[in-house]
Amino acid sequence: MRNVSERTASAALGPAVTETVVVVPDTPRRSRWPRLVSLALVVIGAALVLSFPFVAPNPYILSAGVVILNYAVLSTGWNFMGGFTGYISLGHAAYFGLGAYGTGLIVKYLQLPGFVAWVLAALLVVAVSIPVGIAALRVRGASFVIVSIAFVLILLLVFQSWREFTGGSEGLIVPRPFPDLMRPEHHRVFFYLFAALLAAALVAWWIIDRSKFGTALKSIREDEDKARSLGVPTTRFKLIAYVLSALVTALGGGLYALWFGDLDPIFQFSILVGSYMVLMALLGGVRHLFGPLLGALVVGIALEYFKLEFGDTQFHLVAAGLLLGVVVLFMPDGVIPAVRALIDRFRPQQTSIRDVTAAELLEQNRAAATSEPRAGASSDHRAGAAPDPHADADNREVVR
Amino acid sequence: MSGSLLLQSVILGVLLGGLYALLAAGLTLYFGIMRVVMIAHSAFLILAAYLAWWFNRETGLDPMLSLVVTVPVFFLAGFLMQRLLVSRLKPLTLTMMSVLLTFAIALIIEGALGFIFTGTQRRIQLPYAGDSLNVFGAQVPVVKLVAFVLAAFALLSLYLLLKYTRFGRALRATIQHPEAARLVGIDTDRTAGYGFGLGLATAAIGGTALSLDATIYPSLHWHWIGPLMAIIVVGGLGSIPGAAIAAMLLGISQSLLQLPLGATWAQTVFYVALFATLMFRPQGFFGGRLAQRF
Repeated sequence: MRNVSERTASAALGPAVTETVVVVPDTPRRSRWPRLVSLALVVIGAALVLSFPFVAPNPYILSAGVVILNYAVLSTGWNFMGGFTGYISLGHAAYFGLGAYGTGLIVKYLQLPGFVAWVLAALLVVAVSIPVGIAALRVRGASFVIVSIAFVLILLLVFQSWREFTGGSEGLIVPRPFPDLMRPEHHRVFFYLFAALLAAALVAWWIIDRSKFGTALKSIREDEDKARSLGVPTTRFKLIAYVLSALVTALGGGLYALWFGDLDPIFQFSILVGSYMVLMALLGGVRHLFGPLLGALVVGIALEYFKLEFGDTQFHLVAAGLLLGVVVLFMPDGVIPAVRALIDRFRPQQTSIRDVTAAELLEQNRAAATSEPRAGASSDHRAGAAPDPHADADNREVVR
Repeated sequence: MSGSLLLQSVILGVLLGGLYALLAAGLTLYFGIMRVVMIAHSAFLILAAYLAWWFNRETGLDPMLSLVVTVPVFFLAGFLMQRLLVSRLKPLTLTMMSVLLTFAIALIIEGALGFIFTGTQRRIQLPYAGDSLNVFGAQVPVVKLVAFVLAAFALLSLYLLLKYTRFGRALRATIQHPEAARLVGIDTDRTAGYGFGLGLATAAIGGTALSLDATIYPSLHWHWIGPLMAIIVVGGLGSIPGAAIAAMLLGISQSLLQLPLGATWAQTVFYVALFATLMFRPQGFFGGRLAQRF
């Protein structure tokens, strides 16, 4: 039997948000129905999404909905890497742009139908992401971020300068896959396509989250050296996660190209789009299935609002920057855990077994050993990360 | 290709490399002190350039005089940033989260610059802007020379400060081994704050030097951060001499490659060098022990 009692708070967001799978012997009364509640909430959420095109008052709102779903796909794609392994890539816009441009260029030069081009482009991106991933994953932490940023910048440079092939700064027109549809119907069709892609990505994330592979990835996130010493093939697993992440992001980009029909290197390969993916995932909570989706809703709506309200000024940058700063400083685990912690404060403590990250564990251990304060961890975190004898193999489930 | 053209390219490369070296030294400082990759470094660079331009427009004086104000202000800003923001992050996730935090700061600066000064491209009109020196047939613009001298002077002062003063020794001790530094009585927290201040001060000087002969616009910092990041990785994260050597080499290569390839494609040299470094020597070519762990 699963421990569902600690799940009530998260029930609003679905059945798979807790990562802990723990046996709790005596909670028979509460065990069934939070699960039903969360299932019901997922169904209601899905129904709301699916009915959105019918309640949207005008095509603009509908197109904003498509944009937000696109962001949700990208951010969920990012979360395959960022959420599971903790490797924060600020350059995932590279795969968004490659997916989009790949689709557009294949349609343009090979005259293939749009959706065939979409699949081909995604496969091409997988082929590109493998060597890039091998190079980028040779390093950790800071260097990885640098490489991810550099990769976007280099692609921006190439796609802007290689005028005769990519159209350069003038952009690239991608013919619509459904030429006889009117604009609102076009938006509607693509809304459902994006929703289907998002659902597929979420299901894939959910399966990995519950699998042994997912546990191994999370152990990389918490302590890579320890995971490796326990026999997790870290390099290969990181690469698989990276390629999966690139694939989902590229699929989102390709669909964007077919929907929007006009590509511009400045937008497709902008660090800003990459940072939005990070912001959304972080805001919602990278450890949670629906975190990126929730973040995409909040950030996507906010971005549309700022663009409407402040037009061409750069104010939306300031707003995005402030939001990112606040999230990083005050709730680096996202809204979902923050809200859950708030609710948990008003409930009796029910479980003796819970989810603890390596950072929290370090904190607890240090608090427990106040008589012998540890210095040093502030600057050399690798050395400070190892003092815990209780952490088990995947470092996530700790008995207090 | 004539010899004087080649010579001119090399000279321009050295002049550019000097500026890169100064800025990369700042980035290296932050990284050495707290393992922080400061994405906002180049945003502060552009901010300083804007301040110099604004100072020149309002007063008509030489933009270099703005350094009297910007250097202390930036130093203070760096100190406060380290004490109030970066030091609040949890140690375990510091490297990743500090990237995001400084990224957020970069966005705020870019957005604020665009909001206040609009996205229009700006340029300072200097009386000596068109002058150039003739060095063995190579034309070297005076402004570039002035910018280089400024950068080289700043870099030299930084070197002397780190090498021969008490504070410099404390800062180097903090970088090398914070716990040991604390044991011998160094207030490492405050020293780290000062180190950040120094880093931002280099951005102030670099930005003023940049404003002398560059056209500036708010999103320009993205064009600087990539090359600077590449330089510190090639040089070995955390090594100031490594960063300086890499900056010179890459600056000269970029300048030489501009002859056959043009300005845009020549920029790719930084990224090629970056990926080659990661493939063959992830710890960087001139880096020491510190770099190997990242």
